[in-house]
Amino acid sequence: MKLLAQRLLGPVTLVSMALTIWLGLVVTPPDKVQGNLARLVYVHPAVAWVALYLSFGTATIASVLYLWPRTRSATADRVAHSAMEVSLVFIALTLITGSIWGRPTWGVWWAWDARLTSTAILGLLAVGYLALRRANDDPELRAKRSAVFAVLSAINVPIIHFSVLWWKTLHQGATVFTANRTLLIHGIMAWTLLISFVAFSLAYCWLLRARYRLEVARETLGARAIDDALAARVLEGRS
Amino acid sequence: MAVTERPELTPVAPPPSASRSRRRSLAVLVVLALAIVALLSQGLLHNLNYFKTVDEVLASRESIGTGVIRLEGVVAPHSIRRTNVGTDFVVTGPRGSIPVDASGTPPQLFQANIPVVVVGHFASASSTTFFGSAIMVKHTAAYIAQYPNRVKAPNGSVR
Repeated sequence: MKLLAQRLLGPVTLVSMALTIWLGLVVTPPDKVQGNLARLVYVHPAVAWVALYLSFGTATIASVLYLWPRTRSATADRVAHSAMEVSLVFIALTLITGSIWGRPTWGVWWAWDARLTSTAILGLLAVGYLALRRANDDPELRAKRSAVFAVLSAINVPIIHFSVLWWKTLHQGATVFTANRTLLIHGIMAWTLLISFVAFSLAYCWLLRARYRLEVARETLGARAIDDALAARVLEGRS
Repeated sequence: MAVTERPELTPVAPPPSASRSRRRSLAVLVVLALAIVALLSQGLLHNLNYFKTVDEVLASRESIGTGVIRLEGVVAPHSIRRTNVGTDFVVTGPRGSIPVDASGTPPQLFQANIPVVVVGHFASASSTTFFGSAIMVKHTAAYIAQYPNRVKAPNGSVR
């Protein structure tokens, strides 16, 4: 069952992505105010959802699991590392797609408002996490320090989420997760938005799995390379 | 005869040093802190609230003087007039309105009844006209189909 799910993950991701593209570009109508520019609503929010909540959330939870002595494992550290790398990619995509959307709608590529600035800071924190991992040679120390850093960095996620409510921003307020639970998008547009969230979430799972396997392979091959080097030196000593 | 003596395995690299790791980690954190402070100084520290609404500006008109601010309001219907240098229009809030003389080309979504943020200043301390150097459209979070018959709300009503 697990193997089947793993095999199906890639094809299902591709199908859901194709469905999102077809619905977003062909089936859904233009928006009353934004016209065809609103079609970016089927990309940007879903990418941001993955960046902020899914991947950064995974990295944070895995870091907490590592810091908790009972659940501490190399797997938790690997998952945190992999999720943070994927998160950085999606944070960059969030900023890029937001900027592409902002230029024709707002009239500017970038605005220093609370939502945009705090998202850029999250990107910096993700870069900082990865830099911190490179700075530490000892695996245990590296895992512990980066886990603490990830948990502290996660404080920024609710700040980003609520920034449009706490402060006056150029960025629009919530369309889906509104304060009074009112959906501000209807019909096929809402369904397409939902499918885009599913598609990008699946893409995240696929990327996370691939990155995790790469990390395991890197560690295994690294250990094997050391074994091979030791064996070669032993042979040198014998000759 | 089998070799029983273990060969000398000289380490290729020195073992990881805790103090070196600490120094590197500190360097990363310092660079990161500087970058975040730089971002904050551009963004949140001065612009936690990105703009002032029409009502806020009218209430604190004296203290604003001729300083550069970002003014937010809804473009009043039938107030848009193209000029040689840009666009004249009126922005309104719940309790008042401010006439705006803006230079430059407005964004493509600029139209009546849409919320905008105008960067600019008043000509003098007593002036009521706001001179804008840039217009940004602040679109709402609602997405409604251009062709209403295609989209129905969950309760069955046509939007």
